[in-house]
Amino acid sequence: MAHVDAGHGPADIAFPVDLEDLVTGIWYVVGFVFAGTLFVFGTIGAAWLLSHRSKGDAHKGYPYESGIDTFGDTHARFGISFYIYALMFVAFDIEVVFIYLWALVFQDLLVGGLVSMLIFVGILLFGLAYAWRKGVLTWR
Amino acid sequence: MSALTRPWNNLTLVGKVILPLLFLVLVVGPIVTVLAAVYVAPLVVDILASNLGIVRFVVAITAILLFSIPAAFIIIYMELKVIAYMNTRVGPNRVGPGGSLHSVVAGLKVLLKEDFTPTSADAIVFTWAPVFVFLTAVMTFLVLPFGPGLYAQDLNIGLLYLFAVGGMTVVGLLIAGWSSFNKYSLLGGLRSAAQVVSYEIPLTLSVVGLILLAGTMSLNQIAENQSGGFWNWYVFRQPLGALIFFIAATAEANRTPFDLTEADSEIVAGFATEYSGMRFGFLFFAEYVNVFIISGLLTTLFFGAWNAPVPFPHIELSLDPGSLGIMLLILLAVVPLILTLLFALPFWLTQSRMPGWQALILGFLAFNVVAVGAVLGLAYVGFDWFAGLVWFMIKSFLFVFLFVWMRGTLPRVRIDHLMGFAWKWLLPASLLNLFITAIAIVVLKSTVIP
Repeated sequence: MAHVDAGHGPADIAFPVDLEDLVTGIWYVVGFVFAGTLFVFGTIGAAWLLSHRSKGDAHKGYPYESGIDTFGDTHARFGISFYIYALMFVAFDIEVVFIYLWALVFQDLLVGGLVSMLIFVGILLFGLAYAWRKGVLTWR
Repeated sequence: MSALTRPWNNLTLVGKVILPLLFLVLVVGPIVTVLAAVYVAPLVVDILASNLGIVRFVVAITAILLFSIPAAFIIIYMELKVIAYMNTRVGPNRVGPGGSLHSVVAGLKVLLKEDFTPTSADAIVFTWAPVFVFLTAVMTFLVLPFGPGLYAQDLNIGLLYLFAVGGMTVVGLLIAGWSSFNKYSLLGGLRSAAQVVSYEIPLTLSVVGLILLAGTMSLNQIAENQSGGFWNWYVFRQPLGALIFFIAATAEANRTPFDLTEADSEIVAGFATEYSGMRFGFLFFAEYVNVFIISGLLTTLFFGAWNAPVPFPHIELSLDPGSLGIMLLILLAVVPLILTLLFALPFWLTQSRMPGWQALILGFLAFNVVAVGAVLGLAYVGFDWFAGLVWFMIKSFLFVFLFVWMRGTLPRVRIDHLMGFAWKWLLPASLLNLFITAIAIVVLKSTVIP
């Protein structure tokens, strides 16, 4: 375990999670986002300074469509299937979060936990079966 | 005076700049270094020692960010060379021995290319998209244990963090496609969103069986659970989970049977169509970092992490160089000389046409190889983390090879097959795996422990 010795957490409170550790972990994530952004922008900035730039004519800034000038709106209409898959994803991904927490404590729950999870997943599988029957899962 | 001014006037302008600089580096530099070492260094060491946490943080983050660069270069080179041999071509062979510096030079080339923003593109979002894609790829390294004790941060929600961050990639791809104002980019972004989102579910569900067995989400703990020989690896207790994870992770990283997002024969380069220069470089870079990450994850979760396949008896080395005293200095001076002469001897004896100095150079090279080998061997035996790192890298790069192999072999799947496979096969299979594991645990717990 890596500790940052800046301990000013309520050490007396019996908390199931090591609070200090948790805070350290969050700082690592935040710091990493910051450092990574700095790294990427530093490199892009260096490339901007090193590379040559030219304005070119008007055609240079056009969207690339294999040499032909673009026709119509570039934000073209796209299939509804994309949207339906995203909806399905939201339903199932939230389920996953619950299942993860259940899996973590399953060693203490055993039969009771198994039955309740069967019911929980059963309901969701019913939803999946409905979507399957309606033909949502078939790409069109 | 004129004796000095005449050569000075003969110098070109560049020489007039370089000569003082050379003086600064050669004369002032060492003096400043010595002064700094004597007066400033103890102070700095004190400050660092009292803030060890911050030092560890900075070192860890820097190491991860810097590690991603050679990892990507090696994978790019592997991809060029391995696929070339699979196609009975030679592949890159100009830059460096066997073309091994090819990907480095390609990276430098990208750095020097014009970074162009199309006129109609949304410049700010267009710039942020590769940043997002790259960050979400690299941030996964934060919880990956490279060896015993070699991790940036051992989050107790490691697996959840991993999938949360990994799932964010889709936002980057989507905004890259949307902000480019190009029909191909838009389609590529949407395709990748649909694909990544669909495979995210089986991917996350496939490791639930593993969490059930391990009882923890910390990757470090999972790695430690698999110690003591290859029969303890989770792949043997979760074969279905490992298979689903492998397939879904391939799709998540947009690797070849599932590389519809950048299907060059259909939609140019997908979401990356309008990108050029370093911003394209980062999209490209993130792709290869992702390959390493899914290989590393497969290794960590299912293939024993940094544990050797067969437990290696740990030998405590009781080496204390300090006890030798002045002899150490003599040894350090004499041993290389003797060994160099010794290694040069066979060359000199057998190759009668070879001049003596060539034999000596060969002997010196041979000595270096042996010395480096000896040091690495000592490190492997003596340090847990080194042995762990070696095994982690070996296994990870075997998986990288597997992904490259797949790219050289398999054709691209059709999009309806792709989506149907995720929802109709992988999702039920991963739920089945989950419940089989749960029932097995219940049965074992109620029979073995009364």
